Amino acid sequence: MTATEVLDPVIEALHGVLRPDQVLTGRTDRYNRARVPAPFPVHRWAERLPDLAVLPETTEEVAAVVKVANRFRIPVVPRDGGTGLTDGAVPLRGGIVVDVKRMNAVHEIDLENRTCTVGVGINMLKLNEQLAQYGLIYPDDPASYPCSLVGGRIGTSGWSLIGARYGHTRDLVLSFDHVLPTGEVMHVGDGAGGKLTKSSSGYQLKHLFMGHQGTLGIATRATLKLYPKPEAEFSPFFAFADYDSAYACVGALARAGVATFSGAVLFDEWKVAYLRRDDEAYIPQPADVRALACTVLYGYDDEVRAGGRRLLRIAREHGARYLGDEISAGDWAARHDRYATPLHGRTRSGQVVPMSWHCEDAAVNYTDLPAVAREWHAIIGELRAKTDVFDDWGMFCYTSGSTGADYLTEIDVGIWEQQLGDRAWAMWVEAKRAIAAAALRHGGSISACHGSCREGEVDLVPEELGRGFDLMLDLKRTLDPNNIMNPGKYLLDRAYPDPGATAGTGDGGTP
Amino acid sequence: MTETRPGGHGAPHRPTTPGTGEAPIDPPEELVVAPPRIPVRDERTRAFVEEWRNASYNCYSSGHKFCREVCPVMQVTRNESWTPTAFHANVVAMEKGELDVADIAADYVNCTQCGACELRCPNTLFTGDFYRFRTRTVDVVKAVRALAVDSGVHQPGWQRWNLRTDERTHEPVLGDTPVSQEHVRDWADGLDLPVGGETILFVDCEAAFYRTAVPRAVAQLLTAAGVEFGLMGEQWCCGGPAAEMGYRAQAERFARHNLDDWRAGGVKRVLVLDPHDYITFTEDYPAYFGADFDIEVVLVVELLAELIRDGRLTPSVPVERTITYHDPCRLNKRKGVWAEPREILRAIPGLVFNDVDRVTQWSYCSGGGGGLPVEKPELTAAISARRLDQAAALEVDTLVSACPWSERPLSEAGEARAIDVVDIHELLAESLGITVGGSRGAAGDRTGGCGGGSCGCAGTGGADR
Repeated sequence: MTATEVLDPVIEALHGVLRPDQVLTGRTDRYNRARVPAPFPVHRWAERLPDLAVLPETTEEVAAVVKVANRFRIPVVPRDGGTGLTDGAVPLRGGIVVDVKRMNAVHEIDLENRTCTVGVGINMLKLNEQLAQYGLIYPDDPASYPCSLVGGRIGTSGWSLIGARYGHTRDLVLSFDHVLPTGEVMHVGDGAGGKLTKSSSGYQLKHLFMGHQGTLGIATRATLKLYPKPEAEFSPFFAFADYDSAYACVGALARAGVATFSGAVLFDEWKVAYLRRDDEAYIPQPADVRALACTVLYGYDDEVRAGGRRLLRIAREHGARYLGDEISAGDWAARHDRYATPLHGRTRSGQVVPMSWHCEDAAVNYTDLPAVAREWHAIIGELRAKTDVFDDWGMFCYTSGSTGADYLTEIDVGIWEQQLGDRAWAMWVEAKRAIAAAALRHGGSISACHGSCREGEVDLVPEELGRGFDLMLDLKRTLDPNNIMNPGKYLLDRAYPDPGATAGTGDGGTP
Repeated sequence: MTETRPGGHGAPHRPTTPGTGEAPIDPPEELVVAPPRIPVRDERTRAFVEEWRNASYNCYSSGHKFCREVCPVMQVTRNESWTPTAFHANVVAMEKGELDVADIAADYVNCTQCGACELRCPNTLFTGDFYRFRTRTVDVVKAVRALAVDSGVHQPGWQRWNLRTDERTHEPVLGDTPVSQEHVRDWADGLDLPVGGETILFVDCEAAFYRTAVPRAVAQLLTAAGVEFGLMGEQWCCGGPAAEMGYRAQAERFARHNLDDWRAGGVKRVLVLDPHDYITFTEDYPAYFGADFDIEVVLVVELLAELIRDGRLTPSVPVERTITYHDPCRLNKRKGVWAEPREILRAIPGLVFNDVDRVTQWSYCSGGGGGLPVEKPELTAAISARRLDQAAALEVDTLVSACPWSERPLSEAGEARAIDVVDIHELLAESLGITVGGSRGAAGDRTGGCGGGSCGCAGTGGADR
């Protein structure tokens, strides 16, 4: 059958459940829903095209679309902000992109119970603009805060920069409506009303339906936990002469148990060298500044002052030099904007070239950070010795929790996508595999933040999860009998006996 | 732990900052072959892609999409095909031979050229100063529209609009009621303004034919302050809208006419009341004429703030309104002009001013720019409706703008919310006791002009012209 013969009845059926302006089949509609910020071989863009995209506006419309897809066994790829770094929203087998950005209403703000209920297409910054009038905040704060959307945060089980104080997406999302791969609608979360933070009734399904990268269905409407908007913020940045001192200091800050502690970040020597390329705050710093640490506290003025004094004392005891109010407040305020612009890219001779930022992340315990850092830089160093396509942009380690046990550990790699051919891509996939393996060797997880379903890293997921991976396959087969929901991700094809029988309209859509 | 420091002896590399000479440069061990670049077949497209590929790639590779939520079109359509990111990505796809101009042209209608995305772009915010680079989405959009027109791909509404503009030398802002050279100065009836002189007042098509209260207010304010000026000899449309919609040759032809007219009359200075004209005269004309363009361009709102500051204008008649100010995109986002309008408003007695800061207003728009209302009036209306909702939340009775092109869609949206949309010049004139006269457009006149206040029109909405 030709692609048209497969698709025409699908499109006709979709027109039965959606308005014409909600069904997009144009070439640009498809090309612009085929990628996320993570670099990829652009000459193979067409392999990732969906066949069409839909813009549903209600849970019922999402369910109707999924039912159509399940009936015709056409892949469905959920897409929200499309800002993820592990290709969750990238179609691998064509099909229908379900783009939920139109579902961005604030349905309810419950001031008494401190919750709000929103459509998952809403952005956190825009939500917080609306919550500000009530003195409230939804404190889910990823690097993509100005552009990522609540549904994507659910689908990837997102990580938040200030999670040590407020928790991460899985703590902040209380419940949500979810469309299963069969088109049935389910409410996920504790209790009958969806506003509980804790219950002990039955299996705890919420975590299962977060972080699945769109392979188990589509969240449509979510109830979120709200906090008082913090009155005070204190975000000191500290300079150190060496990595060891900065590392020791960050550990001590995170272990201090200060209630308003919202996070700490370690910048290694590569990161500082990278900042010296063009960051106006760091170029003039003396040469003996080789590593940085920062921490941030949120809360009422009196408690932030007291906690801040304690953390400043701890930092001083570890040889920290405070970088001053201007850099501290400015760098923290600019945290979403400053690190990932393509002009930071350099060849080894210093030529500026536009590079894509890619962040490889892992979850690593504090004690293993230095060893992982050493191994990761060696991996990128090998790539860089071979070709100017890759550039080492240094590492950050961010506290994940309030006790300092584990860190989101990331190495930022510049990739000159304009020069990224098949050979360089193969080198990169191999490097990703090695980066993931290093994290696992040190008792960590392949990802604290993005997910782990890209080429390279995904190969090690069965190793990380062990018997749990087989359970994933069992669950996938049960919930998605026809493998329509984001097929090709997370090695989940292994759940199905005959790969030829699974959904797909070919290698990518029809360009 | 014996070794905690990454790198160390034998490490394959150590932290360095390339280009600073602190480390010897080893060439890469091997050359990894880049993917082949297949030349774009169409010559015109090839030239376009060569010009824009790196700038587009700077967006494509960033992939941040921080521009998305500030984009006025995105806010009402939630369609990722119509975002600044998509507008750059399509150029990369054209370079790769994946898309051609016929595939992409219609998408580029969905932009008001407000410039919010450029300001919000991390490439502009964080590396702009250092590299002297800024994201130029507006120019990309204009260039794609021009490529489309040059390639024979037309949007029907724009094609008709520019054809009629060409026939009449003015934009067809009155719909089926023809505009013409004979009527371009009708707005000034009874004001006894001279024609010509070293300083002339240029009045855009919307203000000259539709919202005539604006130029009447401006002319009377300038006269009251003792500013000498005349009207233009044979004024044609500035050509800016044609340039915005991709009709480049027509735009240049109109610009050439206006410049020739100014030269012939010895004009040295052009006063501009419309932000769109201000962009055209300060960006497009210098691009067309280079160093030959020696005309001083003065933005009236800046001049009026200066006249108030110098004591040459003293607003004294209280205007009892609760207002908020709409930062016109081309002033605030494109030109950084936001202080002077607020200075003027704060000088008007009686106003309760519920201001919203200029950065928050990066994501506000009327939807009236970039030719959007010509091709997609429903999107313009939706964007204006959002803007009025934002005003309504401040519990104001009046939204003040400083851009005639915004005032028609905003007034229409204001009707449903009982919010009056007034031009800053009209408001200032009222506070100076000036009887403005003229029309505030269909919706503006229906809502009662000055509101029956002290402007002297006796609540007729300026119908005493």
